[in-house]
Amino acid sequence: MIAIDLPPEEYLQQRPHVSERFARIRKRPLILSVRNLRKDFGGDDQPRTVFEGVTLDIHRREFICVIGPSGCGKSTLARIVAGLDEASGGEVLLDGVPINGPGPDRGMVFQGYTLFPWLTVKANVMFGLEMGGQARSIAEQEARQWLDMVGLSSFENAYPQELSGGMKQRVAIARALASGPRILIMDEPFGALDAQTRAQMQGYLLQIWRKVDVTILFITHDLDEATYLSDRILVLGANPGRAVELIENPVPRPRSVDQFQSSEFLALKRRLEHHIHPPVETDGVDLLPMVKLTHAGDEVE
Amino acid sequence: MTKAHRDWLGLKKELPRKRRVQLTLLSFLVPLALWCVVSYVPWVWHPLVRVTTPGEVDYFTEDMDVPRGDFATESRKARDRGQTPPEGFRVNPVYLPAPHAVARAFVSAFQTPPRLPNEPWLHQSLGHSIRTIVFGFLVSSLLGLPLGIFCGTYRFAARLQEPFIEFFRYLPAPAFGALCVAVLGIDDAPKIAIIFVGTFFQQVLVISNTVRKVDPALIEASQTLGAKGWRLVLRVIIPASISDIYTDMRILLGWAWTYLIVAEVVGTMSGITFFINQQARYRNFDNVYAAIAMIGIIGFSSDLVLSWLGNVLFPWKRKTKVESRVFGRLWRRDSSTTLAPTAHTP
Repeated sequence: MIAIDLPPEEYLQQRPHVSERFARIRKRPLILSVRNLRKDFGGDDQPRTVFEGVTLDIHRREFICVIGPSGCGKSTLARIVAGLDEASGGEVLLDGVPINGPGPDRGMVFQGYTLFPWLTVKANVMFGLEMGGQARSIAEQEARQWLDMVGLSSFENAYPQELSGGMKQRVAIARALASGPRILIMDEPFGALDAQTRAQMQGYLLQIWRKVDVTILFITHDLDEATYLSDRILVLGANPGRAVELIENPVPRPRSVDQFQSSEFLALKRRLEHHIHPPVETDGVDLLPMVKLTHAGDEVE
Repeated sequence: MTKAHRDWLGLKKELPRKRRVQLTLLSFLVPLALWCVVSYVPWVWHPLVRVTTPGEVDYFTEDMDVPRGDFATESRKARDRGQTPPEGFRVNPVYLPAPHAVARAFVSAFQTPPRLPNEPWLHQSLGHSIRTIVFGFLVSSLLGLPLGIFCGTYRFAARLQEPFIEFFRYLPAPAFGALCVAVLGIDDAPKIAIIFVGTFFQQVLVISNTVRKVDPALIEASQTLGAKGWRLVLRVIIPASISDIYTDMRILLGWAWTYLIVAEVVGTMSGITFFINQQARYRNFDNVYAAIAMIGIIGFSSDLVLSWLGNVLFPWKRKTKVESRVFGRLWRRDSSTTLAPTAHTP
């Protein structure tokens, strides 16, 4: 652990142009409002609350990351916003209107790609357009443009099984964006990718976000990822799940990999670290009740 | 790598193509070789003796088959009495013809006119059987496929239908023979009905089970892209399960063949079963074997064709890089031309 020689509240310090940007964002219209959301699991006899009292306002073209320890219900939050799960209490408003089930106004990218294996890459991207009632020729044209944007136009006639994980997820992003969602919900989209591909995908995502009129709600458990991508970070705590803090990311934009060592980046990461892995005696690992099975003096450390 | 370490049995990976072809041939050649040994090696089995000259044994006639023991006893007795002993050679019972006889029957059975003028030729019998099975399977599929997909898609439908179907499928199809004849007469209708009863109920259950296995994540993904209602079923659930449904159908068609033989004895006996029975009555066992083998060949080769067709129809299921995408288009053809109005219902 790095020694903390900076004031602990350092992550709240924003450079003038960063705070100006946040002021501008706050003036933008609200896209999504999550109000006092609660989710219970289990039957009526033994309901278990996953999280409660989660409130969040997302402005147009904001990039919001949600992080939290496993079991805090961050994926459930994404699924409720997408309309795939029902909330037990509170409400979700999209452009001021309560959401009702899943719909193309809230695009979703899942960790498991979920491309349709029977459709070619292009047909996958066309799917949402066709569902939206677009004529086939127009859908095809638009799909080509989206594939161009994610750099996969040469794979338009391939089937998903022929693509690598990173490529599949780029198609999934193109597919979700093609139907023109108000908000793009991404549930640990890069969790299944190797570190190198993940870093590449984060770069791609920022490029796409810059060019497309879309608001992003990004679920992750990777602190670097959240710090690198987000405008604001919603930190959820577990047992019971609740919103712990909503942090304005002080790292200036445009982001680059060089900023990983900047003071803002490290300060914010330390703050997140503090929330997600609170300091405990055993380094966060419980000691196993193991008996020693090797000879005395036969040590590995 | 030494030879000893090679994976000869194919525990870990697929065998080389050449080996696979060899083994496929061998799987047919080994039983055939066994049959040849039993048929052509005189001292293997051959429990009877065909009498060529009866000698002076009273009840022996020419071309008569007698058990080997009896032949030996009679020869000894004749010799003891100073009479001419019978002569003969060892043969197998008439119900086990030699391979060449069956092979000959494959051709001659088609060329031999029926003994009675109102009896069908072999090709007519076969045609009749194929017609019966195709109709039975078609009627069953026309109802079973949509119902199976419906039950697999909506739990409401499954709860409503499947318990009864589950009960009904335990009722053996042949048990409905008399009922079918009483209701549908003695011609083809009751036979088609038996095949229907035999396949339909299994079909609904098997297909609904396959449809239920569609990855829920794919359904959710399509919902976030705006798919719902009938378009969700047509554009997602059916394409997602179609290749597995196809495999189910291939297996079910095999079951239909086993019901065929039962179905054909219901009412007036017909088709290949009639031919087999008639030939057995005339003791033309080579024709009987030829006809039975013919059923196997038709079933096996139609399955091969369907398997090949499956590869063409579902290109995304192929392991190798997909080349022909002509048929893959089938599943991404926009069905909105016919369904466009439903797309805009809220």
